[in-house]
Amino acid sequence: MVEDEVIAIEGEYETLIPIDEYLAAGVHIGTQQKTRDMMSYIYRVRTDGLYVLDVQSTDRRIRLAGKFLANYDPSKVLVVSARQYGQRPATMLAKSIGAKANVGRFIPNTLTNPNFSGFFEPDVLVATDPSGDSQAVNEAVDAGVPVVALCDTNNMTSNVDLVIPTNNKGRKALTLIYWLMARQVLRERGEEMRFRYTVSDFEMEF
Amino acid sequence: MKETPEKCISCGITLTGVGGVRFPCPSCGTMIARCNKCKHQSNEYTCKSCGFLGP
Repeated sequence: MVEDEVIAIEGEYETLIPIDEYLAAGVHIGTQQKTRDMMSYIYRVRTDGLYVLDVQSTDRRIRLAGKFLANYDPSKVLVVSARQYGQRPATMLAKSIGAKANVGRFIPNTLTNPNFSGFFEPDVLVATDPSGDSQAVNEAVDAGVPVVALCDTNNMTSNVDLVIPTNNKGRKALTLIYWLMARQVLRERGEEMRFRYTVSDFEMEF
Repeated sequence: MKETPEKCISCGITLTGVGGVRFPCPSCGTMIARCNKCKHQSNEYTCKSCGFLGP
């Protein structure tokens, strides 16, 4: 990859935003459980038993996800989030890139039953949590749709085609990840000037 | 998105039925195909063009 070559030459990887901002949002904070699937993204384990994710791999995957989603027709991208903290970020991601969001309860048969009034045939699915959004992920498998998912240290990556290792439980972490993804997709499309949102616009409020 | 491969990139099985998926490599755009079993078992795949290691 070109990015890896740059790293090898300079010896220093330049992240999309300063590392401190990732750390302040808690993007690197995992859980006290780990899975074999997520082992390669874990940086270390803290003394309190929390597994810490590698922020550089998160940053690299956000770049790749942006490039990946930019390949598709925006109207055929579906963003799902059953998790409450992910609902506003997911909606804002969909709004900013021109995609469709399905937040809250994912009604079964949305992707598989053409007779259902809310039937939708996406080309790619973005899931906030593969376990929380398992209904959407399973239907995407049946429909032959690739799945991009935000995965924490405790997630299995079954049926996921592109993992973005991140804290998928924190409000600020989800906000920052979705904001970065939206900006990156528009950047890959050459429409970055159109992106006028701040991180706080993506944040869930109560 | 140049061609549609028929074999799973991880195990080499010919894709048939439901559950398989085809998508462009996130790094270089070469088409990648994964069968339902490799997808379900989360088997690693490597892009033949750029060496991208997924998922």
